[in-house]
Amino acid sequence: MKRLKTSTIFTYLFLIIVSFISLFPFIWMIIGTTNKSVDILRGKFTFGNNLLENFQNLLASYNLGKILINSLKISLIVTVGALLISSLAAYGFEIYASNIREKIYSIILGTLMIPFAALMVPLFKLMTSFNLIDSHWGVILPMLSSVFLIFFFRQNFKMYPKEIIMAARVDGANELQIFFSIVFPSMRSAYATGAIWAFMNSWNSYLWPLVILQSEEKKTMTLLISTLASGYTPDFGVIMTAVVIATLPMIIVFFTLQNYFIQSILGSMKQ
Amino acid sequence: MKKFSIILITLFVLVLLSIGGAQEKPKITIWAWDPNFNIPIMQEAAQRYKKINPNVDFDIVSMAKADVEQKLNTVLASGVKTNLPEIVLIEDYNAQKYLTSYPGAFADLTNHFNYKEFAPYKVQLMTVKGRVYGVPFDSGVTGWFYRRDYFKQAGLDPAKLQNITWEKFIEIGRTLKQKTGKYMISGDPFDGGLMRILLHSAGSWYFDKDGNITISNNEVLKEAVKLYKTLRDSGISKEVSGWNEWVASFNSGEVASVITGVWIIGSIKAAKDQSGKWGVLPIPRLNVPGAVNASNLGGSSWYVLQNSRYRDVAIDFLKQIYAKDVDFYQKILIERGAVGTWLPAQRGSAYTAADPFFGNQKVFTYFSTWMKKVPAINFGLYTYEADAAIMGVMPDVYNGKLTIDEALKKAEEQLKNTIGK
Amino acid sequence: MKITYKRYLDLWGWLFVIFALFLLTLFLLYPIFYSLYLSTFTTRGIVQTFVGFGNYLRLIKDSNFILALKNTLIILIIQVPIMLFLALILAVILNNQKIKFNGFFRTAIFLPAVTSLVAYTVLFKMMFTTDGLINRFLISLGLISKPIPWLLDPFWAKVTLIFALTWRWTGYNMIFYLAGLQNIPTEIYEAAEIDGANKSVQFFKITIPLLKPIIIFTSIMSTIGTLQLFDEPMNLAAGVVTGSSVGPGNSLLTPSVYIYNICFKYAPNFGYASAVSYILVLIVAILSFIQLRTVGERE
Repeated sequence: MKRLKTSTIFTYLFLIIVSFISLFPFIWMIIGTTNKSVDILRGKFTFGNNLLENFQNLLASYNLGKILINSLKISLIVTVGALLISSLAAYGFEIYASNIREKIYSIILGTLMIPFAALMVPLFKLMTSFNLIDSHWGVILPMLSSVFLIFFFRQNFKMYPKEIIMAARVDGANELQIFFSIVFPSMRSAYATGAIWAFMNSWNSYLWPLVILQSEEKKTMTLLISTLASGYTPDFGVIMTAVVIATLPMIIVFFTLQNYFIQSILGSMKQ
Repeated sequence: MKKFSIILITLFVLVLLSIGGAQEKPKITIWAWDPNFNIPIMQEAAQRYKKINPNVDFDIVSMAKADVEQKLNTVLASGVKTNLPEIVLIEDYNAQKYLTSYPGAFADLTNHFNYKEFAPYKVQLMTVKGRVYGVPFDSGVTGWFYRRDYFKQAGLDPAKLQNITWEKFIEIGRTLKQKTGKYMISGDPFDGGLMRILLHSAGSWYFDKDGNITISNNEVLKEAVKLYKTLRDSGISKEVSGWNEWVASFNSGEVASVITGVWIIGSIKAAKDQSGKWGVLPIPRLNVPGAVNASNLGGSSWYVLQNSRYRDVAIDFLKQIYAKDVDFYQKILIERGAVGTWLPAQRGSAYTAADPFFGNQKVFTYFSTWMKKVPAINFGLYTYEADAAIMGVMPDVYNGKLTIDEALKKAEEQLKNTIGK
Repeated sequence: MKITYKRYLDLWGWLFVIFALFLLTLFLLYPIFYSLYLSTFTTRGIVQTFVGFGNYLRLIKDSNFILALKNTLIILIIQVPIMLFLALILAVILNNQKIKFNGFFRTAIFLPAVTSLVAYTVLFKMMFTTDGLINRFLISLGLISKPIPWLLDPFWAKVTLIFALTWRWTGYNMIFYLAGLQNIPTEIYEAAEIDGANKSVQFFKITIPLLKPIIIFTSIMSTIGTLQLFDEPMNLAAGVVTGSSVGPGNSLLTPSVYIYNICFKYAPNFGYASAVSYILVLIVAILSFIQLRTVGERE
């Protein structure tokens, strides 16, 4: 017995339209990887057979493997590190709220509003004194303490029932145990979201790696794409190929993690 | 014990080798943009130099133009003296800006090169207080690239168009549109490229040679803005937004002319099916005293960073290739369409060859001649700011909300704000 | 040595935050103070002149900055509410396990957020040309008779920007709402259902109030993001022969792009750029404060 309500039809229609609009550019890009640059510019929307050539051209001028690994290395370290450091801090700010820490928190939040361009020169100078120019750690370190993630996690911790923590304390658990064994497992969707954000942010980051990294071999994917897209006669077939390759890890990360949205706090509590 | 001593000896030898190898090979790091133009040209130069001096390594780092500028500014502003590239590419419009903002950062090359061998207008823009700081590279000398077949169809005779004004250009543009249905030219109504070509062709700029703003009282600029509006209203210009659309407009055969720097040749030739259909003419001139049928758009030069590690090797490299190797200039002309500004190179074969793409016209002899006619002006420090200010008021000029005089006044105010005067 | 339980908890509080604080002080606070110091100078590269508050006074009369602010505020008022509301609706729909192909829809809608900036701005620029895809589509549907000059007109350029931003960031915000929705127990909805509340009442009376912290979060982040808007205007307006104005008639100029231009495109004046940055911070702080106050975040 299947009732097809009009609201259901509209809902699906709505979803399909929104998905199509969202996917369209990406589909265009994939088609683009198989075409020649001139055809792409002319608006060709069918598959060509230039994929191999585009791929070869890309590999011929750039060490794609190395660049991919560079981006992966930076993004993975930043994701894990930032998640850990930021969520711990957010937990500290929320569960152990004190006047001093509230004031510090407000100041920290305020820094979110400062455009990065203003900080680049002093940050660069700092990195020189630590001898971290042209090093991946120079890119990673400033990203490890993400004010955005602290803010995000704190908001999520606000939604967490504090009674559970109180109960655990009564039961004799120490603070660290409470965090790692009780709170952390039930915040899976928050961590999944945070991981997606952290990975995406560092994977797509552009300005800071541009300034810090100097040599060809340290480059990241975003820098590569920028280089390819500049110049008097950009080869769009090659650009699209690079872009699709650059977008794949993000899709994989997202698709894997988005399953965690299924877990609800209630579900994990029932165990 | 024996195993241990073997390990010890091996370690010792390795250490010795690494110390011994500390007599490092000099490595010249170069920052430049454009993987289809500057980069391969530099790579060619590097290869040639290695034949003269094999004990040198090159690291040619390719980035977007805006990225080079950003990195350069950040690095120089932070005052660091390590990890500097030896050579950087700087666009001519920015030369004075870098040279005066970072005094001491660039190597004084006055005594290293014979600057009489380079086009005077290029040498001028890299001179500060009588000292010269760069090696002039490519020229942005402008030409009027036109479609022979469309002109023929419209009954236009190129021989009669060698010396025309822009008014005449618009007139024949209308004829062409009528007879062939094609646009005479294409352009972005909010792009300052043509504006610069017009100003430069009349020996004028947004600033006078003392650096004072010359916008609201500049007859040349007024004529230029008027031309922008006339072009838009005449319907002979196909309006495009952005580089790719612009290139597509002539690659697809929709327009009959391209008026811009010689570096566009690569893009024009990308439409291989149009070979033999193009030709070049001198650009039209503005109807103001002192205007010529020659101008320049863009172009860049190489600069050496004073505090880079292998500065002297870099200077030698530039000298040996860019100021000595005539054959090099022929090769980059043929392969990349790069018109160098080292005058002795112009005697080479490539510069005097006939180009079948352009109907066997000896295009580069023309460009060489025009290059010598380009007025030498001082771009000042604030070209981009001025551009932004003027292009910012163009919408009001186009829709008639402001007269040109009013618009220029407003632009001047805005410019003063941006510069902070 | 006996310490009170309160003190014990307080120490734990410090322990949790200390590592992040250390990194932040080093990599955030130091540059901030340095650039604050720098804002009292007008610089050209490394040539500095002290001006005290001069930069800030200059800022007030700077027509470029005022234009940039105006552009940004227009986007803030129009684009952000549309995007957040759309994201919320999508999240609520996709939170429902009964929807088939859930995972596919979520991934599809999120994809724009991870699509390379360069690639999609190139595509948008291509689609929104005078005889590009969008115009052809609209004309074929009979919605317009003449092609719209998307990127050749100050008004339409802004519209294009709003499209681009909404396209890119709706899925991103949807994710945050999805995470938040996970924390609302289904029992509440079931109880409301029994009480006779329909879907829209449930949405407004249950979902929105319970999601308040996340909504505030996305709202503030979007405000900050919009006021710091850089990537899209920069790339949509780029790719011209000379890169003169940011969008036709500087219609896409935002404060961040202005700051960037002052540092790297024009005569590099890091001092003035810093001053512009801090005024921007002030404005954002005020806006965020207003948002927090009106929704009553006080505990």
